[in-house]
Amino acid sequence: MLAAFSSVILFAGFFAPYDFAAQDRDTPFAPPTTLHFVDAGGSLHIRPFVYDPRDSASTSPNAEAASEQSYALHWFVRGTSYKIAGLIPSRTHLFGVEKPARIFLMGSDAYGRDQFSRFLYGGQISLLAGLIAAILSVSLGILVGGIAGYYGGWLDGILMRGGELFLALPWLYLLFAARAALPLHISQWQVFLLLISVMGVIGWARPARLIRGVALSAKERNFVLAARGFGASDAYLLRRHVLPQTYAVLLTQITLLVPQYVLAEVTLTFLGLGVGEPMPSWGALLTSLQQYSVLSSYWWMFLPALLLIPLFVVFYAVADALQELHKSVPL
Amino acid sequence: MKRETLQSDSKRFEPLLRVSCLCKQYVQRRPFSRQKIVVNAFQDVSLNLFPGTTLALVGESGAGKSSLARCIALLERPSAGKIELAGENLLVLDREQLFPLRREVQMIFQDPSSALNPRFTACEIIAEPLLIQREGTNSQRRARALQLMEQVGLDPAWERKTPLEFSGGQRQRLAIARALALGPRVLILDEALSNLDAANQSLILKLLADLQAARSLSFLHISHDLRLVSEFADDVAVMYQGRIVEAKSTRKLFASPENPYTKELLASVRSVESILLERSA
Amino acid sequence: MRYLARRVLHSVLLLLGVSIFSFTILQLAPGDFFTPLSLNPQISAHTVATLRSQYGLDKPFPIRYEHWLHSVFRGDLGVSFAYGTPVAPLLAVRARNTLLLTGTSLLLAWLLAIPFGIWSAARRGKLSDRAGGIITSSLLTIPDLVLFLTLLLVAVRTGWFPTGGMMSAGFDDLSIGGKVQDLAAHLFLPVVGLVLATLPPLVRHIRSAMIEVLDSPFIRAARAHGIPEHRVLLRYALPVAANPLITLFGYSIAGMLSASLLLEVVLSWPGVGPLLVDAILAKDVYVVVGAVMLSAVFLVVGNLVADALLFATDPRIRTEQIN
Repeated sequence: MLAAFSSVILFAGFFAPYDFAAQDRDTPFAPPTTLHFVDAGGSLHIRPFVYDPRDSASTSPNAEAASEQSYALHWFVRGTSYKIAGLIPSRTHLFGVEKPARIFLMGSDAYGRDQFSRFLYGGQISLLAGLIAAILSVSLGILVGGIAGYYGGWLDGILMRGGELFLALPWLYLLFAARAALPLHISQWQVFLLLISVMGVIGWARPARLIRGVALSAKERNFVLAARGFGASDAYLLRRHVLPQTYAVLLTQITLLVPQYVLAEVTLTFLGLGVGEPMPSWGALLTSLQQYSVLSSYWWMFLPALLLIPLFVVFYAVADALQELHKSVPL
Repeated sequence: MKRETLQSDSKRFEPLLRVSCLCKQYVQRRPFSRQKIVVNAFQDVSLNLFPGTTLALVGESGAGKSSLARCIALLERPSAGKIELAGENLLVLDREQLFPLRREVQMIFQDPSSALNPRFTACEIIAEPLLIQREGTNSQRRARALQLMEQVGLDPAWERKTPLEFSGGQRQRLAIARALALGPRVLILDEALSNLDAANQSLILKLLADLQAARSLSFLHISHDLRLVSEFADDVAVMYQGRIVEAKSTRKLFASPENPYTKELLASVRSVESILLERSA
Repeated sequence: MRYLARRVLHSVLLLLGVSIFSFTILQLAPGDFFTPLSLNPQISAHTVATLRSQYGLDKPFPIRYEHWLHSVFRGDLGVSFAYGTPVAPLLAVRARNTLLLTGTSLLLAWLLAIPFGIWSAARRGKLSDRAGGIITSSLLTIPDLVLFLTLLLVAVRTGWFPTGGMMSAGFDDLSIGGKVQDLAAHLFLPVVGLVLATLPPLVRHIRSAMIEVLDSPFIRAARAHGIPEHRVLLRYALPVAANPLITLFGYSIAGMLSASLLLEVVLSWPGVGPLLVDAILAKDVYVVVGAVMLSAVFLVVGNLVADALLFATDPRIRTEQIN
């Protein structure tokens, strides 16, 4: 129980920064001054001010640390505008520094983009993708599984055979084949939506099978029989009696699927097959790691990968907690 | 509680529910071969249920009693035969025609826990048949449900409780209340007392007897407990391996059974008593 | 025998379905390999059209599929637009590399998982089991991508292992022993990655399968007879647990293939993975279809083998035939 609660809180904590989205710059914005790799200026925020990164990097890697210009770290600064959840415009950021200094909590990438902000925004994209795809899969699963389990017979046989087909194949390959079908030159938003739909649609098989099981056992229960004795129609029975039994399974399925789909999106984008520039999916953040030079010299680019681990731990902890919860509920 | 059988009562000639030559078969296919195996749940069953009386159906488990009960309650379709309610053959009707007639025959199951949806409140459970048959408004249905709760001996203040919060005997009362909601003329009780302890059994029996007297209900009571049967049934039909082997009034059956199986059944009942008699001597 | 025949038929149908599916999906996309060319103002539309008809891309879909199907039976998988060579030999080389990698990893993973799973089941609830469980869970939660990237990081930072590829530059000049050593060095990290990625679920399943069997009455009877524990585990429990495990084997192949795809790209192993990714980006149709079919074939064959094994080892399946 506690585990579930604390992880939910962590989730909320994750989301709050999005609203503030400590944004120094808009993510798609590559600054014209081709700043190259700067080391994490944020290491100095024990006392909250930073040095102008350009001073240290552009000349020589060392010695210029004691620059005259120190830029204090402010809270709740007015920065470039953005929209909270894409709807409400705002200009307030959680923290920032005055121009022309930059604060790169996680360093910046080849284009001088702040990795931290990209991480937060990327989270929006990747998590959203995972969530929507999971909901899509589960909805399809309800539809197919419910029908198969309730009506049984040959319909059930066909549907489940089809499901086996989907389950048996390595999902990554299926996803790739589907991705290959998508045109490569459409707007990024469309790619995003299409990607989510494809992921969601391909993954219907496992939830469908589980839901079918529930439907199968539910329809044999005596209260369903009794309701039928009153003249209830199939639609009524499905809606009022069978479906509510599936709620428990649905919830656990969603919580299990979301991390899987988030991972799928990240993997696809990492390989260049998912959403493209300039959308900052987590996969995009990690792509540059494929280059030898990046890995050997710029260690901070690896941070997003490491940060993903606790995220997934949280995901699975929530899923486990939910499963435990539902085991104790009497059937 | 024994009463005179119907055949001697001049007021009631016609059976309310007449079952004729009912059969039910299942076909099973073996997994890897083409053979089909025909399994008979019951064959050639004929019963008459007269208004205001109780017909008991006895037999060992697996004799097809429950299957028969479900067919009569129109929850399953038999393979052949007729079921006539007040002269009308129910099996030839289509779904729409059958819909209003479903109110006449209701069933009460053996295990109330599985017969009641654990997520529904008591009020919802009782009002459900009214909802399905589209009777009345929400508040009317609720009022009726509360009324029924009282009639079966449940406190109406408990309307919002779920079945799990009731005891076994109370759940069965809930089930009875639900069955009564549409004002049926026939109640089929499929071993409805078997899961209850002796005290509850008598209480429910009394309730049923009162209801029968008040509303002139007919009961088809399936039971394997002959002792109970001797208490409440007017007529008895004995089922053995899917067929009715003997059907008489209770008094006649207990006094002079004809079929060997019936005799065996009765003998096993008596022997307990005689043993007890011997032990106390 | 009829059981196996049915399974084979099932598999063939499955493969057919997969081929139709992948072919269809690729056709759904507007544009094809030559679309970028047609966007180039320097290349005349006529040239593009000629190229298209040369490769048969202007014919309607069913004809192309039929054509493709026929060629497959002749062993010809079409032509790669990007490489300009037939698909079949291209795939063959890549497939060999992938098989080497996945085969080794699969073997290693199972060889490790079985003893570990049995051991955990035997010491269920005790500290060692719990510790093992924690390790397994942690490995499970780490996303594969992160795992592989970490391995790559290790390789780059420490320089202990080659950071990619299957062979070093001077491979052909090495002696046989040298070649083997070189291959092994290159294989090491990828195999470690794959094994780490696929081991945890295997161990979990083996453990739970064993636990389920160990709880059954006949095991208790065996113990009561005084049979030593390790015999009970190996000669009594394991054969019974083998049934679900063999089925698991079939599924583990699928998981392994998925993981290997990613791994090959991250660690630059020249297998089917990178080929597929590039082909998708370039819309190199026949390569994509060929690669997907190949993986499907791997899977199906693996499952058939598993089914055959089941048939041979589990008497219950055989007796179903007789009735």
